[in-house]
Amino acid sequence: MPALVLVALAVLAVLPLDAVATDLTDRLAPPSAAHPLGTDHLGRDVLARLVGGLRISMGLTLVATAGCAVLGTAAGLLSGYAGGVAGGIVQRLVDVLVAVPTIIVGLIVAAVREPGTATVLIAVLVTGWTPFARLAHHLTVRERAREYVEGAVAIGAGPVRIAVRHVLPNALRPLVAHACLRFANVLLSIAGLSFLGLGVQPPTPEWGVMLAEGRQFLFAAPQLVLVPAVAVVGAATIITVLGRGLERRWSST
Amino acid sequence: MILRRLLPLPAVALGAAVLIFLLPRLAGGDPVRAVLRSRVAEAEPDPAVAARVSAELGLDRPLPEQFLRWLSDVLTGDLGLSYATRTPVAPQLLSAIGVSALLTAVALALAAAVGIPAGVHAARRPGGVVDRLVGVASVLGVAVPEFILAPVLVLLLAVAVPLLPALGWGGPAHVVLPAITLAAFPAALAAQVTRAETADVLGRPHVVLARAKGLRDGVVLWRHGARLALTAVTSLSGLFFAGLLSGAVVVEVVFAVPGLGRLLHDAVVGQDLPVLQAGLLAVVVVAVVASLVADAVQLALDPVARTAARA
Repeated sequence: MPALVLVALAVLAVLPLDAVATDLTDRLAPPSAAHPLGTDHLGRDVLARLVGGLRISMGLTLVATAGCAVLGTAAGLLSGYAGGVAGGIVQRLVDVLVAVPTIIVGLIVAAVREPGTATVLIAVLVTGWTPFARLAHHLTVRERAREYVEGAVAIGAGPVRIAVRHVLPNALRPLVAHACLRFANVLLSIAGLSFLGLGVQPPTPEWGVMLAEGRQFLFAAPQLVLVPAVAVVGAATIITVLGRGLERRWSST
Repeated sequence: MILRRLLPLPAVALGAAVLIFLLPRLAGGDPVRAVLRSRVAEAEPDPAVAARVSAELGLDRPLPEQFLRWLSDVLTGDLGLSYATRTPVAPQLLSAIGVSALLTAVALALAAAVGIPAGVHAARRPGGVVDRLVGVASVLGVAVPEFILAPVLVLLLAVAVPLLPALGWGGPAHVVLPAITLAAFPAALAAQVTRAETADVLGRPHVVLARAKGLRDGVVLWRHGARLALTAVTSLSGLFFAGLLSGAVVVEVVFAVPGLGRLLHDAVVGQDLPVLQAGLLAVVVVAVVASLVADAVQLALDPVARTAARA
């Protein structure tokens, strides 16, 4: 099932659709053969924008989640394996940042820089690495008590080598499963910031941007809100279910 | 326990204050020009005037000294002038906090009134009809973000069935849709946590004893079961707070509610840094107070935590 969904997404992602071509004679049109999901307030094809949004929203989320995973895992490995002062600082930082809403960070970053794609990425990275750091810390502490680590120490491997070559591979699966669960969260943060006008800017077809634009025509063309809404919630749900499945499968073996 | 919880607070508050103080400098603007901009409309002030204002306001002093001065201004209620309206920020901020406090209180009461009983009743028969319904509803409540729930609710209750105003702030009817939108996430979270904890507590010996004593079902469920479960809900106060705060920004922007979230959003969009600084300070203060209140509630509910705190 997930494979089918992925194939369908891949096909959609390569379809040659124009998401920014406007046609002012054909605005807010209901679904038709030429425009299966109708057109928006500038006469742009909603299906084309939906698919364009799939590339942008999912692409950005993938980059941001991967960034958070790498940063958080590195921090967690450090605090879990090295401990000491550096580890303590990392953990206190995590305790504080984990409680800070991404939207507030987004507001601050947007004020210091300006709204845009980089702004969302920074905002998500500032807060999003903390859950990975917690999990990686926990896994590292658990793994380093194992005998193979003792064995590696006995044959003279350095701490960095043990952490990266021995502990990390054994902690990887829970981290990947966790990344799937975080993906949905990051997707919602990016769409939310873009919805507020702090992230991806129009006319880029991002789902949060589509929602914000469509909201002004809620009376005349409710599908302009419903289409991206279903896309965001659907994508978040599919990835979460996938992550839960991975978590279950990998924790049972 | 209280002491350990309280210790990091001053450090966090001080760190936040320094960051907020530095915002205009991080944003790359010239503070003197910014201050002049908040007083007169001129884009290019006379350099002599700029130098005089700079000396007058102490902007030529070293940064730490400026910080202390700014902090004492803030503590005495002087939050500067808004760039946009050229009026003092403090009254704007107070009225925005009042609006947000009302909205959040209604939402939180709604979330508690719906989420906690839903979780308790779902736990009575795990796998039953109520449990499944609450399960689906709570997953939706967590998965559907405010920026989607809000337009969908407007579509249902303001457009399809015109019962309520779609936006604005004034009468009690204006509170309904924003409050429901804001309550969805905490209600779902409370239901999930209450369900899990109550189901766990109901299997413990003291509940079996209460049943054996012949206590009524409702008394067993609430006095002996749910009460313990509630401590788990209050221990997640940080999560609730973060959810409510980001929810408030979205909800207030969507429904045109003149609260703290909208104040922050408009300040960023309009590059109104004094208003943004004041709004962020308010957020930090509210966060610190909320975390203290949550700890107090936790102590009131949980005898174990009380004993630990005394020891």
